[in-house]
Amino acid sequence: MSESDSAPKIQTSIETGKTDSAPPETEDVVIESRSLDVYYGDEQALDDVSMEIREREVTALIGPSGCGKSTFLRCINRMNDMIDVCRVEGDVEFSGKNVYDDNVDSVALRRKIGIVFQKPNPFPKSIRDNVAYGLKIQGFDGDVDERVEESLKEAALWDEVKDQLDSSGLDLSGGQQQRLCIARAIAPDPEVVLMDEPTSALDPVAASKIEDLIDDLAGEYTVIIVTHNMQQAARISDRTAVFLTGGRLVEYDDTATIFEDPEHQRVEDYITGKFG
Amino acid sequence: MATEETPSDQLGRTTALRLQQLKGQLFEVALIAATLVGIVSLLVLFAQISNDAFRPGTASPAWFLIYLSTLVAPTAAFTLYARRRPAVRKTNAKAFAAVFGGLLLSLVTYAVVDSLSPYDVFIYAAFASLPPVLVLAYDRTTDDRTYTGPAVPVSMIVGTGVAAALYDLIRGPIGIAAEWIMYFGLVTVPAALLVAWLTASRRGRRAGSIVGGVVAAGGLVVAVAAIAAGVNASLPVVLFSAFVVPTSYVVVRSVRTNPEGRIGVAGPFILLGGVLLGASLAYEVKSPDTFLTPNLLLNSWDGLTASNAGVYPQIVGSVIIVGFMAVLAFPVGIGAAVYLEEYAPDTGWGGRLATLLEINISNLAGVPSVVYGLLGLALFRRTLGLGTGVVVSAAGTLGLLILPIVIVSTQEALRSVPDALRQGSYGMGASRWQTLREVVLPQAIPGTLTGTILALARAIGETAPLVIIAIATTTYSPPSGLFSSGTALPLQIFAASANAKPEFRHGVVPAAAVVLLVLMLLMNATAIVIRNKYGREN
Ligand SMILES: Nc1ncnc2c1ncn2[C@@H]1O[C@H](COP(=O)(O)OP(=O)(O)OP(=O)(O)O)[C@@H](O)[C@H]1O
Ligand SMILES: [Mg+2]
Repeated sequence: MSESDSAPKIQTSIETGKTDSAPPETEDVVIESRSLDVYYGDEQALDDVSMEIREREVTALIGPSGCGKSTFLRCINRMNDMIDVCRVEGDVEFSGKNVYDDNVDSVALRRKIGIVFQKPNPFPKSIRDNVAYGLKIQGFDGDVDERVEESLKEAALWDEVKDQLDSSGLDLSGGQQQRLCIARAIAPDPEVVLMDEPTSALDPVAASKIEDLIDDLAGEYTVIIVTHNMQQAARISDRTAVFLTGGRLVEYDDTATIFEDPEHQRVEDYITGKFG
Repeated sequence: MATEETPSDQLGRTTALRLQQLKGQLFEVALIAATLVGIVSLLVLFAQISNDAFRPGTASPAWFLIYLSTLVAPTAAFTLYARRRPAVRKTNAKAFAAVFGGLLLSLVTYAVVDSLSPYDVFIYAAFASLPPVLVLAYDRTTDDRTYTGPAVPVSMIVGTGVAAALYDLIRGPIGIAAEWIMYFGLVTVPAALLVAWLTASRRGRRAGSIVGGVVAAGGLVVAVAAIAAGVNASLPVVLFSAFVVPTSYVVVRSVRTNPEGRIGVAGPFILLGGVLLGASLAYEVKSPDTFLTPNLLLNSWDGLTASNAGVYPQIVGSVIIVGFMAVLAFPVGIGAAVYLEEYAPDTGWGGRLATLLEINISNLAGVPSVVYGLLGLALFRRTLGLGTGVVVSAAGTLGLLILPIVIVSTQEALRSVPDALRQGSYGMGASRWQTLREVVLPQAIPGTLTGTILALARAIGETAPLVIIAIATTTYSPPSGLFSSGTALPLQIFAASANAKPEFRHGVVPAAAVVLLVLMLLMNATAIVIRNKYGREN
C-alpha cells in the first residue's frame, strides 16, 4: 500500500489525446479493465473481468447481490487497498495507465476518480465545509466559495441550502445528504464519478431527483453506477454491464440492446426478474 | 385430556407464568436494594466528611439567616427566573464560566508560576512560543505551505531546547526586570492577543487591534496603580488579564449582541455579591468552627496547631504534579492509541503483535498502583538517578499509571467514529493523515476527553505510588522547579490522619479532603465543559 502523506501531483497520465475538433459524443475509452481477478482471502469475487468504459457516458453495473459489482467499482479507484485481505490481479487502466502500477499513487488517483456511496455519509461539518473538503485537502487556491456554489448548483441542491451553508450537513434529509455527497464528489472536478447504489436508501422522489442529476452530469463526467433497479439502469445509462454470480461479467452492451435483446438467456431471466 | 382447550382458555394466568413473574419481581427488588445500599452508604460518607469539615452545628442561627437572605435566596430566585428562559440561561452559563473560570485560572496560574519562579517560566514560555510564531509569520509570506504543519511542533521543541541551553546566560539579565513584567508577558500578552483575534474575526482588524491595545494598556495601568499603592503588582496583573478581561469580554458581548439573554450575565455577580455581603454582615455573628478557612488554603503545614495548619504547598504541588503528568502522558497515550487503532496492521505478524500489545495495555489498566510506585522507584530513582521525591518522578510515575487508561479510552473513542466517514474521506483523495486530522480526530475528541477526565481524577488522588517513590509528606513551600522536591495533598491527608491530636483527625483531615475533592471536581468540570463544547459543534 502506498498511502503517501504529501500532496503529490497526479502521476497517471490523464491526457486522452482527444482533439478539440472531436464531436461531443466521443467513444474514447477512459477506463479499461483487462482480465481482472479479485480475491478476498481465498474467496474469488471477480473472475476475469474485461471491459471498456467510455468517456462521458453513464455506464450501469447490474447483477444479483454478491456478484462483485461493488468490488469492481472499488477496484477502479483502489478503495480496495484499504481491505487487508483483498488481492487484485490483472490490469485496470485509467487513461491508458495501469492504476496498479507501482508509480501510481492511490491518493492522487482518487482525486481524479470520485466516489459516492450507498448510504449518504456527509462529514459532521457545515454544508460549505463538506463541499469544500476535496478542495481543501488538494490545496485548491482559487475561489472556494464560488466553487462550492457551482458544485451545489450542479448537484441541484443550491436552492434548498443557499441560506444555511453554515449549518451542519447532518441536518439535511437523506436525499439532500446524498446530493450533498455528490456535490462533494464533483467539487474538485474529477474525471470519473463512481456511484454505488446511490439511490437505494432514498424515497422515489429523492431518487428521481438524483437520476435527473446523473443525466446532467453525464455531459461533463464519466459516470459508473451500480444499481439494483432495472428501470433506473434502463432510464439513465448509455451502456449496461450485467454481472452474474461468481463475479463474471456475462454481458456488456448498449443499454437498449441489453434490455430489449440480450444475447444470453440468463441475462434475460435476470432482467425480467425470473431469478436473482 | 379429552377436553379441547379454546385459545381464549389459554389466556389465563397459569402457575408457571405466575412463578416466572415472581422471579422477575424478586430480581427487580434485589437490584433496587443493591442500588440503595451503594448510594446511601456513599451519601452517609460524604455527609460525615462535610459535617466534620464545615461543622454547621457550631454556627449561630443568625449566621444561617444572614447567608440565607444574602446568598441562597437571591441565587435561587435568579436560577428559577433563568430556568424558563433559554436565552438567559445560556448567557448565565457563559458568564459563570467566564467569572469563575477566570478567577480559577488566575489563581492557579499565579500560584504555579510563583512557585516555579516567574523568570524561569517566562524564559521557557518565550522560547517555546516565539519560533512557532515566526514559522506562522513566514508561512503567510510564501505559497508553499507543505512543511508548515510539522514545522510548528518541531520549532517549539527546538525553542525549548535552546532555552535550556542558554538558560544560564539569559537568567541573569532577565532577572533585572521587575517580577510583574514576567506575568505581563505570560498572561496579559496572550489575553490581549486572544481578545484581539476574537474581536477581529467578528468586527474587522481595526476593532481587533484597538481592543487588544486596550487590554495591554489596562494591564500596564493596573501594574502602575499597584506599585503606586505599594503592593506587589504580580497578582493584580494576573487577575486583571485572566479574570477581569474574559469577564468583561463576555459581559460586553452578551449585552451588545443578545438583548433577550443579557440579564443572564448578572448570575455570577449575584452569587459573588451574596458571599461578600454575607461576610460583611456576619462579621459579628458566630460562624461555624470550621477548619475550612483561608488559613487552610494559604498557610503551610503546622503539625502542632490545627487552626494554623495549611496545605497551600500541597495544593500547588498536586496541581504541578498532575499538570506535568498530563503534559507527559496525554501525547504519548493519545499517540499510542491513534497508532494502534489507525495505523497498526490487522493481519500477519504485525497484526498479531498489535493485538498482543492491546491486550497487555488493557491488563495494565488494572495493575495495583503500589506496583506502579515500585516501577517508578526503579525507573526514575535507580535507572535515571533522579533525586529523591522530586516532581518529575512523581509526574512520571503517575503518568505511567494513567497511560493505559488514556490509551484504552482514546482507542474506544476512535473506534466509535463510523467507518463510512473514513471511506468518504479516502474516496475524496485524502491521505491517511488528512483523514485523521480532518475527520477522525475531531469526532474522537469528546470521547478522548472523557477518558482523560477519568485519568486526571484518578491521578490526583493517588497516594500509594507517591509514598513508594518517597515523595515528602510535608514540605513548607511549594516545589520551586520540576527537579525539586514537592508534595501532594493526598499524602498530607494520609499523614495527618495519624496525628495524635483529635482536632487534626476530625477537623483538618476532612477539611483537606473536601479541598481535594473540590480540586478533582474542578478539573473534571473543566474537561466536561471542553467536551460539551466540542460535542455541540460536531
Ligand atoms: N471486505 C470484504 N471482505 C471479504 N469478502 C468480501 C468483502 N467485500 C465483499 N466480499 C465478498 O465479495 C463478494 C462480492 O461482494 P460485492 O460487495 O462486490 O457484491 P455486490 O455485487 O456489490 O453485492 P450487493 O449488490 O449486495 O452490494 C461477496 O461474496 C462478498 O462476500
Ligand atoms: Mg454492493
